[in-house]
Amino acid sequence: MGVMEHKFSDNIITATVDGVINWARRSSLWPVTFGLACCAIEMMAVGASKYDLDRLGVIFRATPRQADLMIVAGTVTRKMAPVVRKVYDQMPEPKWVIAMGSCATSGGIFDTYSTVQGADEIVPVDFYIPGCPPRPEALLDAIVALQEKIKGNKVLRK
Amino acid sequence: MGFESLLKELAGKFDSKINGYTQYGCNFINAPADIAKEVLKSLKCDYGFTYLVDIVAIHWPKKNEKFELSYNLFNVDKKLRVFVKVALAEPEFETVTDIWKSADFLEREQYDLVGVTFKGHPDLRRILMPDFFEGHPLRKEYGLKDRSWFNSVDEQNLGIKFTK
Amino acid sequence: MENISTKDNLSEIITVNMGPQHPSTHGVLRLVVDLDGETIVDVRPDVGFLHRGVEKLAENRTYHQFIPLTDRLDYLSPLSNNLGYCLAVEKFFNVKIPERAEYLRVIFAELARAASHLVWIATHALDIGAMTVFLYAFRERELILDMFEIATGQRMTSSWIRIGGIREDVPPLFLEKLKEFVSIFDERIDTYERLLTKNRIWLKRTVGVGYLSKEDALSYGVSGPIMRGSGVDFDLRRDEPYGIYDRFEFDVPVREEGDIYARYQVRVEEMRQANRILKQALEQIPEGPVMTDDPRVAMPSHQEVYERMEALIRRFYLISKGFKTPKGETYACVEAPKGELGYYIVSNGEERPYRLKIRAPSFVNLGAINKMAKGAMVADLVGIIGSVDIVLGEIDR
Repeated sequence: MGVMEHKFSDNIITATVDGVINWARRSSLWPVTFGLACCAIEMMAVGASKYDLDRLGVIFRATPRQADLMIVAGTVTRKMAPVVRKVYDQMPEPKWVIAMGSCATSGGIFDTYSTVQGADEIVPVDFYIPGCPPRPEALLDAIVALQEKIKGNKVLRK
Repeated sequence: MGFESLLKELAGKFDSKINGYTQYGCNFINAPADIAKEVLKSLKCDYGFTYLVDIVAIHWPKKNEKFELSYNLFNVDKKLRVFVKVALAEPEFETVTDIWKSADFLEREQYDLVGVTFKGHPDLRRILMPDFFEGHPLRKEYGLKDRSWFNSVDEQNLGIKFTK
Repeated sequence: MENISTKDNLSEIITVNMGPQHPSTHGVLRLVVDLDGETIVDVRPDVGFLHRGVEKLAENRTYHQFIPLTDRLDYLSPLSNNLGYCLAVEKFFNVKIPERAEYLRVIFAELARAASHLVWIATHALDIGAMTVFLYAFRERELILDMFEIATGQRMTSSWIRIGGIREDVPPLFLEKLKEFVSIFDERIDTYERLLTKNRIWLKRTVGVGYLSKEDALSYGVSGPIMRGSGVDFDLRRDEPYGIYDRFEFDVPVREEGDIYARYQVRVEEMRQANRILKQALEQIPEGPVMTDDPRVAMPSHQEVYERMEALIRRFYLISKGFKTPKGETYACVEAPKGELGYYIVSNGEERPYRLKIRAPSFVNLGAINKMAKGAMVADLVGIIGSVDIVLGEIDR
């Protein structure tokens, strides 16, 4: 700070561009409401009164165009796979994906003729949450971990 | 009206071609395929089985009659439940959508999963599996983990390749 | 499409796709809707986006191993699904369930009904535009899930009802919490009713919308609250009693109107009746074992396994190989929150079901959506889907 100190009036904060942009991005993660199966109910529970995702700046959006996070909450089947990809493609950059639960991680107990063995076959996944379904705390933890990850993003110097 | 008296009446009506039995607390009626639809119609119209609960198709590859249908009927007023079982040599039977409207979805499901064709169904398409899927997963010869069809069609041209 | 003409022959029929990614389809339901202006001409549901092959899996699992899969059918009330399946398997053996287990089964099933209806009222109201109910209903649902966690260790998919009884006795804390819950639940239902029952917007959106007549309700095979909302007085708990439901006093709410509002009233009253059953069960529940001692199906308790060699061997055998059911077919059904949930099991005399068919209430109920939605406005479709209370997990299986 040395040189910069006391050069401006008290109303100015200095920070890096990365720092400001990443702060804005991680404090307003808007996931698209993409409930596929059982985990979606736990995802709703996290958004509801007891766990209250809003306090982390996480507000569910009904359209992928306004979202930057996709929580794949549930089993991805072959019939659903193109839809998952399409929703992901419709999201603006930067975007992240959390695979919630065993099914989205690896197919889980549904090792069958119709189930895709993990959402990472279709979209790139940032965080995997184990559990069938995971506890709400686990989803909160993944979101906090994602916020930590975003902190380290280099926006201008790639 | 108990199951016994119902059976007696039905046997009289259909020249003793049907028989029934009670097993593990459930009432079953065996009806030959050629008169089964008449039996079902009679159960609805004459005996008040207005509620078709379910249709189950079973694949028996080792038997002579390789397919079996089981109609789960309920009489809401008399609180009586019967199962009408129809053995089929070929996976083909007449539709009952003209008797019960609920048969629409139920028959489509059995057509999709077991591959029994219902003649006269207004809209017999796959319901659970995608249209490009071939085969019937609940047939005994179909493998539980057979995912070979995953890459056969890229229906939305998204370039997805499944590896597992 | 050619044979459908619009009312004034000036506009044209537009086909609109709704879902599978849509906030108000409660999962991955896809509806193809034909519209004449804003009036619905035809609705064609497209399901199967969550078809996971549960029935095929059942043919490859032992009878015990299938229980966790039933949890994931109607994931809003997993314990009702367990109950239906276990009743079906028990029919093969004619097992006598210990008294305490019977009471705990009723308690679990009614709590599951309350939990499921709470999600229904929350999302249904949210779809129509009332956000507050969502937050209130989930508050109470958390209380129920906490109780499940105390008893079973899992919030949702607990697989706690087993063939021959329940897995293990509940800790005393569970019954204490339950006592607390039944004492406040009626009041909480009043809160939702204050928000909705006489709410003018709610009435305008629901009364007279999504009509289904009594004849159609029977013909389309709908069950549960939709059937009772259309004037059919039928409840499996009363009319084909399973377990010990014949010991409890409860009313079966029936409405003649057949619209969304009637279904709403039926479900709200069902929550009250569930609470009534819970209160009676709490009073009557005896002490005792919770697992039958029938050696054909019962898993020996951990305590026994530690103390007796025979119990260890039996447990090992049941887990690794499973038990055989006699040849034949059977069917058991329960009044699940959504309607009649049935399991049709065909046994070949082996450790695995030869064929298992799940009669999913939501699947059949969805078949009537075209009838309910025809002629309604497109904005009402969301309310109609909400009032059918579908769960894609059991529709697609």
